[in-house]
Amino acid sequence: MHYALHRPERADNFLNRLDGRVKLLVVLVLLPMILSCRGFVFPLLVGALSVSSCLRLGVRPRHLLLRFAQPLLFAAAVFLFKMFTPGAAPLFSLSVWGITLIGYADGLVAGGLIACRITGAVSLAALLGFSTTFTELLSALAWFRLPPALIEVALFAWRYLFLLYDDAMVVYGAQKNRLGYVGYRQGLRSFGTLAGAMVIKAFDSSQTITTAMAQRGYDGTTPLRQQPLRKQELAAASLVVALLGVFWHV
Amino acid sequence: MKKVLAFTIMMHFVAAPAYAMHISEGLLPLNWAALWFAVAAPFVVLGVRRLNTLAKDDLAMKPLVGLLAAVVFIVSCMPIPVPTAGTCSHPCGTGIAAILAGPLIGVVISTVSLLLQALFLAHGGLSTLGADIVSMGVVGSFAGWFVFRGLRSVGTSLALAAFFAGLATDWGTYLTTSAELAAGIRGTAPFWPLATKIALAFVPTQLPLGILEGAMTAGMVTLLQRKRPDLLVKMGVVKESKVAHA
Repeated sequence: MHYALHRPERADNFLNRLDGRVKLLVVLVLLPMILSCRGFVFPLLVGALSVSSCLRLGVRPRHLLLRFAQPLLFAAAVFLFKMFTPGAAPLFSLSVWGITLIGYADGLVAGGLIACRITGAVSLAALLGFSTTFTELLSALAWFRLPPALIEVALFAWRYLFLLYDDAMVVYGAQKNRLGYVGYRQGLRSFGTLAGAMVIKAFDSSQTITTAMAQRGYDGTTPLRQQPLRKQELAAASLVVALLGVFWHV
Repeated sequence: MKKVLAFTIMMHFVAAPAYAMHISEGLLPLNWAALWFAVAAPFVVLGVRRLNTLAKDDLAMKPLVGLLAAVVFIVSCMPIPVPTAGTCSHPCGTGIAAILAGPLIGVVISTVSLLLQALFLAHGGLSTLGADIVSMGVVGSFAGWFVFRGLRSVGTSLALAAFFAGLATDWGTYLTTSAELAAGIRGTAPFWPLATKIALAFVPTQLPLGILEGAMTAGMVTLLQRKRPDLLVKMGVVKESKVAHA
């Protein structure tokens, strides 16, 4: 999990320096455009640009592939489903265990479009994730008027995620060494204990954290400072969106 | 019938290894993505209000909810072998969150957990966050909480009530996901036959996984009852007077 959650090694890249709010704004404009476009070019173009930007950021291709594994499986499933859904123009037929499946041209196009949208949208989200720190993203979301309580909870979750995860892995390793996962019954019991131990740890940690934070002046709110938005960055982002928008109709 | 069977088998082989409860980024068309955000929004707002109310009395509430969100995140990332499918899938974890913190706080916990997963693991997505919140957060939390409270009110043991709560959370989530998927990708095809096909395709994975999630939830609650009954009392899961008999 750490590989995916920690920032990869990155150069001092333009995208890293760009204001998180601008990046989020671009993503929030481009995502609906991807979801609503009727052609293949726009989502594929966004996807190609995003993937190449990720690689320029120093993200390893293996990490990118791991990130894309689940969405691509989904894309494949939907593509197959749409292709074999009865349509107007039969394209080919194949026999699976004596059952004849007919592939349709219109289904192929519809399925391909959804697969392209998934590829484009996932690549864009991956670029945002790889080029922006979590706190920067939450700060941007706060600027977009997301409820402060939600931001605070997310910050707490993020701060203690790795500690809990490491604790869970230590317990899991110990359980495994004591044959805690031989057989489903035993495995299930061990997993229940592991998850329960994490809940206990969460409760205890929340008390300790609150005491420590209260001593440092925590009054139930976490202030997030916002830098003024740089107009040049906003203008550059608008230009990129406008240029990409040309391909939305294609 | 043969086509339904063939489709189900095909979908199962493709979908089973995937994280079936999260709808992937970019899968839903814009109108459906927007609709699910609109459905999820009131629950998130009510959850945040409830959290703010609780946080006024207890300063530790926000850190606790944050840590529970981290637990749900980790639990829902852990692969569990599914014997019938021969693959791995993952539990929701929202059932236990709803049992401990209530369904509205459960929605907040799910929202945070899903946001983290969408941004950093590509499980789910930003555009499908609304749909995922509705299935895992709203339906999962409320189904688990109602089943747990309902069974406890008729005197069912803590472990059994937690088991069925976990089961309801998992199955409720996957049925809602099936409906959301069918509505999003059906095109001009009729809704119900497609929703049934998708639900059937997930059966080999999600049916046993629901039972596994139920057992896991029961295991967690039993551990809390045995080791830290004070936590169950604090969260209002059991009354102080009944701790010894629960």
